[in-house]
Amino acid sequence: MSWAVRLENVGRRYRAGGPWAVRGVDLEIRAGTLVRVAGGNGGGKSTLLRLIAGVDAPSAGRVRGRPPARGYVPERFPASLPLTALDYLTHLGRIRGLRPREAARQGARWLERFGADGYADTRMRELSKGSSQKVAVAQALLGPPGLLVLDEAWTGLDRPARAVLDDVVRERTAAGGAVVFVDHDPSRLADACTTVLRVTPPDSTAPAVPAGPPVPSGSAGSATSVGASMSFGAATPAEASTPAGSVAPAGAADPAGIAVPVASAGPAAPPAPDASAGAAGPVGAAGPVGGGVRQGGLTRIEALGAPGARVPAGLPQDVRWRLTPGGDLFLTVPHTRSDEVLRVLLDAGPPESGWHIRAVREEGENR
Amino acid sequence: MRATFALTRYQLAMLLRSQRWLAPLLLYAGLLAVGLGAGRPLLDSLGLAAAVLLPATAWLVRICVTAEPDAARHCAAAVTGAARAHLAAVAAGVVTALGFGLPAVALVAFVGDPHSTDGRRAVPVAPAVAAGLCGVLACVLVGAAVGMLCNRPLIRSRGIAVAATSLLTLPALALGASPANAAVGELSRASAEGAVPLPWVPVLGAVAVAALAAAVACAVAGRRP
Repeated sequence: MSWAVRLENVGRRYRAGGPWAVRGVDLEIRAGTLVRVAGGNGGGKSTLLRLIAGVDAPSAGRVRGRPPARGYVPERFPASLPLTALDYLTHLGRIRGLRPREAARQGARWLERFGADGYADTRMRELSKGSSQKVAVAQALLGPPGLLVLDEAWTGLDRPARAVLDDVVRERTAAGGAVVFVDHDPSRLADACTTVLRVTPPDSTAPAVPAGPPVPSGSAGSATSVGASMSFGAATPAEASTPAGSVAPAGAADPAGIAVPVASAGPAAPPAPDASAGAAGPVGAAGPVGGGVRQGGLTRIEALGAPGARVPAGLPQDVRWRLTPGGDLFLTVPHTRSDEVLRVLLDAGPPESGWHIRAVREEGENR
Repeated sequence: MRATFALTRYQLAMLLRSQRWLAPLLLYAGLLAVGLGAGRPLLDSLGLAAAVLLPATAWLVRICVTAEPDAARHCAAAVTGAARAHLAAVAAGVVTALGFGLPAVALVAFVGDPHSTDGRRAVPVAPAVAAGLCGVLACVLVGAAVGMLCNRPLIRSRGIAVAATSLLTLPALALGASPANAAVGELSRASAEGAVPLPWVPVLGAVAVAALAAAVACAVAGRRP
């Protein structure tokens, strides 16, 4: 279980000479990690997921080291197939190398777990959107897959099925698989994410000349900020030492890149020192939060507000925070309070003056 | 390999349940009904059964490579890669076309008159059927090549793809350079002369054409799924 998917300077555009949907991505996804891909609409999230899953091939660079068993759940699954749900799952299971009986058994089990066992013998084209989505999720879980890629897989599922999918994702990572996902709900699996990748459109911006005033890192609309080249902290030590903020000045020299502030840590291992230095933020950052040693798991949350924003009211008592004038907010909270803190941040004010969650990661035992 | 078989089975299941195979079958049966009849020369009839299978195959391959919605195709492609998924769809079309052609050869062997075209010389049935099977195989492979080169992922627009498939079918049947034309030509020559050769050269040519088309189509499918 020691594989890792590596993207090396990967780019994708849909026609020669056209705009890049994704560009200059260097990334490593290791077994046992849970990676969230965040970013605005049209930013290339789905393209990146398809490249990781192997559904799509890069126009530039290469993707290596995918495990043999992979599952992919597309954003929409309006599968007007003439097969019944269980027949479809059986076929997909056999494509993954399962024997016919085992494929049918696993298919039926997943349908049952997602509460769709009543539709096993219904034709796919007669399924409701939600039931169809359950089949889409079930097909990706057959096998089971070493690498699971979920593109808004929760959308369209009913509440119990969403909770089941949360559990399944945790189970997959605990069992040594890697899960990469996009979801519009920033609190989705926030406590379990190893890494948050932030993607901005490569061509959305950017003066061709890196002169001009440096872009303040504190603007709430950071999705349209200058692209920095994507780096994945712990994966490539050389890049991990660059500031991980999406608007690092270094990135301004590379106008068409993908901006990804990255926080990363293995789920079991404490974070590498250089990774935490990287997470300290680009503007006015002192070192990482120091001070009191606290037993029990801590979660580090990075958020971005308007420049000069104030820390939102209503944070729990045992939260430590640091705020830069640029609007970068770093919070260190016990695992058990992370959901509460995220809710406070998300509920604070209208979107333009509110907080934008950039990264949530586990902080290890004693920081 | 096992995954490719499983993918082909999946594609076949979708084709059979969708009933989209019915239209190419009616085309094939209709063309056969016009040209075949009890008492016509055996080898001529076998040549016809092979030749009209070519457009039916191109159509079947088109149906198979466009059967899945994008989302479903992506799910399967995540398992095996888009190139193999495409190859499996083509294979399903070829298998179905052979499912049309083999009974047609059997039918012709029953109703055809085992004599040369002028009726003077007797034609041995078993070698004639073997030659007919070679002709069917050559036409199916060339038809599959037409279907692969004129549809997704090489031609994505539906209108252009249909027009190109129909248009390329004609030279694939009529041009002397086409292995399908050569195979059918050998059958009709054999019918005129009353001697039955095994048209294996055209079959090899058809295998090469189909392999080349598959290599191109699958490579593009892998790049632009």
